[in-house]
Amino acid sequence: MTNAYIHGIGMTKFGTLESSLKELLLEASAEALRDAGRPKIDAVFVGNFMGGSISNQEILGAIVANELGLGYIPSTKVEGACASGGIAFRQGLLGIMSGEYDTVLVAGVEKMKHASTPDVTQAINAAMDTTTNEKNAGLTFPGFFGVLANRYFHETGASKEHLARVALKNRENGVNNPLAQFPKPTSIEEIMNARMITDPLGLFDCSPMTDGAAAVVISRKKSPVHVRASAQVSGPTKMQDAIDLLSIPAIGESGRRAYEKAGVGPEDIDVVEIHDCFSMTEIIATEELGFFNRREGWKAVEEGRTKVDGDKPVNTSGGLLSRGHPIGATGIAQIYQLVRQLRGNAANQVPKLPRLAMAQNLGGTGSYSTVHILERV
Amino acid sequence: MKIYSCCGNESITKKYFCPECGSSEFEEREVSNDGTVYSFTKIHIAPAEFAGIAPYYVVLVQLDEANAKVTARMEEEVAIGDKVVLDREEGGAYLYKKVPSAEVVN
Repeated sequence: MTNAYIHGIGMTKFGTLESSLKELLLEASAEALRDAGRPKIDAVFVGNFMGGSISNQEILGAIVANELGLGYIPSTKVEGACASGGIAFRQGLLGIMSGEYDTVLVAGVEKMKHASTPDVTQAINAAMDTTTNEKNAGLTFPGFFGVLANRYFHETGASKEHLARVALKNRENGVNNPLAQFPKPTSIEEIMNARMITDPLGLFDCSPMTDGAAAVVISRKKSPVHVRASAQVSGPTKMQDAIDLLSIPAIGESGRRAYEKAGVGPEDIDVVEIHDCFSMTEIIATEELGFFNRREGWKAVEEGRTKVDGDKPVNTSGGLLSRGHPIGATGIAQIYQLVRQLRGNAANQVPKLPRLAMAQNLGGTGSYSTVHILERV
Repeated sequence: MKIYSCCGNESITKKYFCPECGSSEFEEREVSNDGTVYSFTKIHIAPAEFAGIAPYYVVLVQLDEANAKVTARMEEEVAIGDKVVLDREEGGAYLYKKVPSAEVVN
């Protein structure tokens, strides 16, 4: 249990945007502050991964504090690869739980679309252990999940079509989310026939490059959305060190710790935002988080259980695959969607107003994972 | 290939401390480079430094003589279960090749 509550949320449109890194960050942050009723902010945490390497821009924390007139308060940039946002959120919570801060602004931002695909792929590879034979072999992030997917197919009854069904579901959700990157409907055929990125993962199985930002205001003062639990763990940084390639222990362990802290189990969670950096990752994560048995997540996809009207709705926002994946913003965008679900005004609102919501944010090939459980109170 | 082991875990890389017992004493032994393809992917979209050689295969090789795996690159089509051997080391990477099927002994 934490003593923190969510008071305000803000998010820019995700996609290819004219705005600069700084403008995106400020737009989402200002919206979250307005949504929270402009409280006094005691500290700022910003999740960001490649501001330095791709935009030559750091000091994002101080920029937020200055441009939004928050005064002489502490501010921090948090880097944890694709989990930068989730970790920043957790750092804000810990600041409140320690007693040091009453109210904190947490934002996440990334600007990627102005750079070339090889340059961004290269920058993303910094989230690997770059001194190893794996990196030198030419492994990439989609490559890791391609290797995992081929083994998953080999050991289960799953096929590329199950991955396509995940991509289709998230696209269908994204189409109804006005902030999502991809508003265009698609079909199983289009997904199955799209160009290969890393076999068997095609274009629609991979999260895109995205510009965007999201922000939340959290406080020890009460609000209708309680942060019931926060957990984070680190996992293996190399594929060849995985004891079981079909398990991402950082996801499973962060989930177990969050359930334990919240005093709830997977069956109690009403709506979920999962880090679907690739369609394969969503299936593995639903297994790791205990929603479905190991090696059986693909069956749940087949049965439609993770759709908006299923018994375990996953990625009602469209997920990383269709909402988009501005790396540092993703973990905060997940919180944004879940708060909207708990308030009852989300894109793809689930049929029964949810009480418990879970966000799981992954960094690297399982190097970082955060899990947060939110509760409507 | 050199294998480092402690508490039943085997790896081709040495950590500072064993995550099980905390010891910094790892047993070291040499094993054959030969292995079997555990899984693989064909990388079409590569980072800038590898764009010139794409598409290429990245394979996870299960070593025959250790409970350890090694990530390697291959230049030919592969499938899970293929027998592979180390061809060469290049730029800090292991490059494997398939054993011609006539030479595979089961």
